[in-house]
Amino acid sequence: MKKLISVMLCCLFLCLCSCSNEKTSSQLEDTERGQEFEPLTEIQDGRKNIYLIVKSLGNSYWDVVLEGAKAAGEDFDCNVYYGGTYSETDWEYQADLLDTCVKQNADAVLLSPDDSVRLAPKISEIYEKDIPMILIDTIANTDSYNLCYMTDNLIAGRNAAKEMIALLEKRDFEKDDAVNIGIMVGSVASQTINERLAGFFQFWTQNAPESWHIIPDIVSYDGNNGLIEDLANGMLEKHPEINGVYGTNNGPTAGFAKVLKEQGRTDICIVGFDYSNEIAELIASPDYSAATMLQKQFNMSYDGIQSALSLTEGEENKVKFVDTGVVTVTYETLSTPEVQEVILHN
Amino acid sequence: MKQDKNKTDLSYLKSGTSFFITITVFVVIVLIATTFLIAAFNTLITNHDKKLSREICNLISEKMNNSIRYMTDSAQNMSSVLSAQDFTSPAEIYEKLIGENSGSYVSVGFIDVNEQIYATEQELMEFEKWNLLSIARLADPVSISAPYRSGTTGQPVFTMFTDFTYNHGTKGWLFVTYPLREIQSIASTQSLKEETEIWLMNAESANIIQCAGENEYSIGSWANAYLAMRDINAEDKPLYDEWRNKMLRGEPSAGLTYHIEDVSYMQVYSDIEYMPDWFVVVRIPSSALSATMSQFQNDVIIFIAVFVLVTLLLFIVIQKRNAEEKDMLEQLSIHDPLTSVMNRRAFDFAAEQRLNRPPKKEACLLFFDVDYFKQVNDRFGHEAGDKILIEFSAALKKHFGQLGIISRYGGDEFVVLIDTASKEKITALLNDLMVDVHNIRPTDDEEKNKGFMLSFSAGAACFPENAESLAKLEQCADSALYIVKERGRNGYEWYQPA
Repeated sequence: MKKLISVMLCCLFLCLCSCSNEKTSSQLEDTERGQEFEPLTEIQDGRKNIYLIVKSLGNSYWDVVLEGAKAAGEDFDCNVYYGGTYSETDWEYQADLLDTCVKQNADAVLLSPDDSVRLAPKISEIYEKDIPMILIDTIANTDSYNLCYMTDNLIAGRNAAKEMIALLEKRDFEKDDAVNIGIMVGSVASQTINERLAGFFQFWTQNAPESWHIIPDIVSYDGNNGLIEDLANGMLEKHPEINGVYGTNNGPTAGFAKVLKEQGRTDICIVGFDYSNEIAELIASPDYSAATMLQKQFNMSYDGIQSALSLTEGEENKVKFVDTGVVTVTYETLSTPEVQEVILHN
Repeated sequence: MKQDKNKTDLSYLKSGTSFFITITVFVVIVLIATTFLIAAFNTLITNHDKKLSREICNLISEKMNNSIRYMTDSAQNMSSVLSAQDFTSPAEIYEKLIGENSGSYVSVGFIDVNEQIYATEQELMEFEKWNLLSIARLADPVSISAPYRSGTTGQPVFTMFTDFTYNHGTKGWLFVTYPLREIQSIASTQSLKEETEIWLMNAESANIIQCAGENEYSIGSWANAYLAMRDINAEDKPLYDEWRNKMLRGEPSAGLTYHIEDVSYMQVYSDIEYMPDWFVVVRIPSSALSATMSQFQNDVIIFIAVFVLVTLLLFIVIQKRNAEEKDMLEQLSIHDPLTSVMNRRAFDFAAEQRLNRPPKKEACLLFFDVDYFKQVNDRFGHEAGDKILIEFSAALKKHFGQLGIISRYGGDEFVVLIDTASKEKITALLNDLMVDVHNIRPTDDEEKNKGFMLSFSAGAACFPENAESLAKLEQCADSALYIVKERGRNGYEWYQPA
């Protein structure tokens, strides 16, 4: 009987879905899903053709990735084409773009996979055609690629925890004081998010005093950006004892920063990722204890193009994974040349 | 018509329990019993699944531990071989190790007594990045690092350290870096491969890293149990917290069952030798085993259904045969075998039922005597006498069969109970009967029949006008008959009270 009811509900659900005006990714026109390859550099005959597939076109983070690829194309004298998806989850469109690379005889491919798991078989397929495959920003769960340039998110998460402890210590919290940290994450299914979370926990449990706790009730907005501020406010209301907040990606970091600013909560330390206006404002203020981890996405594509060219010329890479690292931005480090250089590319 | 009449007669004698009621009761009982049986069977299967899931979890975690132990044994054997040899310098040890690097490991190296690391440039970076030297110092005789992403392979790995001595007693450490997949491939099992999830879990941080699961590409994925387990049903969360507390207290193993929505999971952890604070966790959905058992369960249900159906058919066949036999016996016990009308006993019973069944209705009782029947027997023989009785009873049925019940009371005596008290109607029927009876012949030979005419004498009494009981009604009719006989037979008379 349960099965029967389930089948009926599924049928009803499918009927409702088919009646709905909302389009699923497969129903969207290709032009709405992503962009076919276009030249990023000047195209000249006789040069190598490198194809770059990014996750989210029109996004400032990915614009920096394109800048890096363009600079590399000009510096290393090659043609660079770029394409990608508008949604960071449309891995099927990326799979189609990979097929296009093969059809257009790409000399090498740079890819930032929308799905590390489901795109893995297609990546293996391209790799087995002897087309050098460079992954950037996100790794795939397969051995079938040549090189990956990305942030080691476990390390990035550890660095975030390290910075949180440093901020709390600067706020004169003692080892015996009760300290509570709240966490908000993006998509629960994202490997990047999970690694940043795991890295944070790893460093925290190894280095934070015993009475400094992470609140187990981790909040997730599951990709719904509209919920972020409500969730941040809700967390502060539910846990008035909170001393620090950690956002695993740009959304919650910006959301926490905005809420702390609105409420004037200078007593709460904040650590997050990326360089949104909200977190930048808090970092620039001496009243707040704020820090953010900046990835070096310019380097990912720049170095990726360089390595791709080397591979097309038969060189072999000694390593398969390169951690491009993160830069920790705080009030104290904001004006350093290294940080300014990374901010310039963010 | 004859058959229908007989059935009408029988309806007064049958018991109240109908065959269909019996069948319905039987089917209901069988359905209830089957429901209980299936419910009990399901409970049995569920309990069996839970028990078996736990056993399987325990076995897999033990197998995982054995595979890690196999690796530590390999590393220890390697260090034993090196300890037994003479080397002029630590660098020579490293060269020896590199030269023999043909195992399933990613890299191998050596740390000398001064904590100088002999490794590739990439490995040196990873030593610094992951503070691996601090893990090496814990080796007694073995220590294992937490999983991390290798720059060389891009995949999750872990490094194993064993202490050993070189140059006659100088202490050093050998390290071997294995891919995380290696544990899984050593411990892999074909059965329940897709349903079994295996993680390494750190008790303190609740970090988990997947070693095996439905999707092979998800191996090496990190997660944190605070987030990954947030969908456990609220009522099971205390059980989960207690399970994790056991892990935090350092208990070597523990298991629990919990639900995420409607899916039940069995989850077991066991500690890992040389990897403090890390545990192997195995999770199996109970439905994985239920799926295996479902075929058997379906077979049982089909068997029960067939059994019930066959039993029902047998029951119906037996009941039908019994009914036929009963009908036959009833025919024999109720009816007069010669004339097929009721015998006296059956008539008395049926007449009592009819007269006493409320609401009481008016009725008439007629007593018939075939006139001079003894002379027919004497003159024409018993065969002719039987013919006379058969044809006389047939005439009675023809005229009174639709109105009441007829009985041969004995010899040449018949009695009829009629469901009407209309004397005019009955008188008319008696006159018609008389005409028919006069035409009955004892033989088919007209010569022999010459001069023969059959007649009857009848006495009639009305209920309840003349009597309110069957016995008294019979007496009244009999007395009216007596008057007809006294008058010379071949006629009828209604009872006249004195």
